[in-house]
Amino acid sequence: MQKLVLEICVGTSCHLLGSQDLIQMVENLPAEIKYKIDLQGATCLGACGKGPNIRVNGTVLSNMTPEQLKQIICDTI
Amino acid sequence: MSQVTEVVKIRRKVFAELARMAYTGTLEKDVSTILNTVVTEEGPRYRCCVHKERAVLHNRINLALSQPMTISIAEAASAALQGNRSTMPVMNVLPEACDQCPIDKFLVTDACRNCIAHNCMAACPKKAINVVLNRAYIDKNKCVECGLCKKSCEYGAIIEISRPCERACDLGAIKAGADRRAVIDYEKCVQCGACKTTCPFGAVGDKSIIVQLIQSLKSAKRVYAILAPAFIGQFGFKVKPGQVINALKQMGFYDVYEASFGADLVTMAEGRELAETLDQDPKSFLTTSCCPAFAGMVKKHMPEIADHVSTTVSPMVATGKIILDKDPEAMTVFIGPCVAKKAEAEDANGIIDYVLTFEELAAMMVGAGINLAEVEAVDYHTTASRDGNGFACAGGVTRSVIDTAAVVAPGLKIDAQHGEGLGDCKKILQQIRSGQISANFFEGMACVGGCVGGPSTMADQRVTGKLVANFAAEAFAGESVQNKPVVELLAKGGHWHRTLS
Repeated sequence: MQKLVLEICVGTSCHLLGSQDLIQMVENLPAEIKYKIDLQGATCLGACGKGPNIRVNGTVLSNMTPEQLKQIICDTI
Repeated sequence: MSQVTEVVKIRRKVFAELARMAYTGTLEKDVSTILNTVVTEEGPRYRCCVHKERAVLHNRINLALSQPMTISIAEAASAALQGNRSTMPVMNVLPEACDQCPIDKFLVTDACRNCIAHNCMAACPKKAINVVLNRAYIDKNKCVECGLCKKSCEYGAIIEISRPCERACDLGAIKAGADRRAVIDYEKCVQCGACKTTCPFGAVGDKSIIVQLIQSLKSAKRVYAILAPAFIGQFGFKVKPGQVINALKQMGFYDVYEASFGADLVTMAEGRELAETLDQDPKSFLTTSCCPAFAGMVKKHMPEIADHVSTTVSPMVATGKIILDKDPEAMTVFIGPCVAKKAEAEDANGIIDYVLTFEELAAMMVGAGINLAEVEAVDYHTTASRDGNGFACAGGVTRSVIDTAAVVAPGLKIDAQHGEGLGDCKKILQQIRSGQISANFFEGMACVGGCVGGPSTMADQRVTGKLVANFAAEAFAGESVQNKPVVELLAKGGHWHRTLS
């Protein structure tokens, strides 16, 4: 099965702007969704100041909120 | 609910931008651009219009520069660059940000059944309740908000709503003023920061010294960091302590001390003080003094028991004194999760120059272009015992004092209680005083969970509490009394009590 590759930036700028909340949201997802996600940490995605930043299947997305990320995960899987 | 709300993000963006400009030396010239970068014409919009957003931001920038909100941003920036700090209190209401919450205190809900008894109407001393549309209705012009109607309703159909800031403050120190804007009563306020974390409009904040500190770091001064033990996990759960230490050195700090080292010293001094207190009067009790908001609460709200508060200085002040004894020219900066420490430092006879929160430190790193996730970890081991590190979590001080007393005063029987949150502390202290609860030692923490639950933390305390415990477990010794350098310092004589200078 092809897993959804999700990178969440844990650099200081993104941490300051809430990347921890994104990680927590993903970790709290139900097991049947979580096993389809390959969650990886990134140290910088090159868009500091617009964080928190994530990369989904190669595309960088900025200003992410837990709600938006949940929507993206649901739409992609 | 996510921890990092939009208000928190805006505050942090302001800090990071101010730090970046202070580092690059462009603050004076570019400070007003923050009004266009942190808030943009395109939004997102949280208030009525972009002008209102900018007015709020003006308040926020001045507070972040420790300058009065009435002066222009340019004046504020130039004063901060010169190292000036306003004598304003630590906690302040941002007048533009306060939404003047139009909250009617008592509200009749759908649960009202327009019953036959109408207890609410009978209970109201002002005859402010009528029945309108088959339901009780409170006439706001007559209501004096006494709450008797709420108490009298058998259905619990009348609810009490209060402003978030008012409800957050256990000491009744923040209230709506004449124009409904929040007003802090500084006779009652102990700068704990509860209102700051609660206000959904981000309308209460603490003053910051980011720019003044950056100027000092750029100068030839030897600036020492005193890192609070709650720092573990604050900058990301995977960030190692050695990375934080390295980053601080890269930022220009001359050396880094742990406040937990001072905590080991405090444990021994406080343990001794407890033994002496109980020796004089076995029925007496002693409370901790390390949490400044708790100590302030006793001083302002329970003055009758003020002499039960330990006179031992806090770990922050003890560590500052240790540094100054070695290097009298040192500039000391406490870095922690706390805003009350900012007020404590101002009263610490010059031992602590600046207090920085974890949030402000992270923003400074961002401004300096330092990414902790990519900083190399230096080999680092704590200089304090497990118990000294344990000061970061509620119950930790008690454990430390008990462990050390078991070694230095084996006969001493410690009957300890602890409180988390100022309301909780106040209640338990009253019970101890009236004899309802027996205790001869009380640990008071203004924040639930202790320092790891402080107002300027950046991570979930359920996780950081465990990470602090793991880090503490790796310490070279369990009890404070086994920390040899601390024992040697105490053996040199002198005292570690409140009048330290």
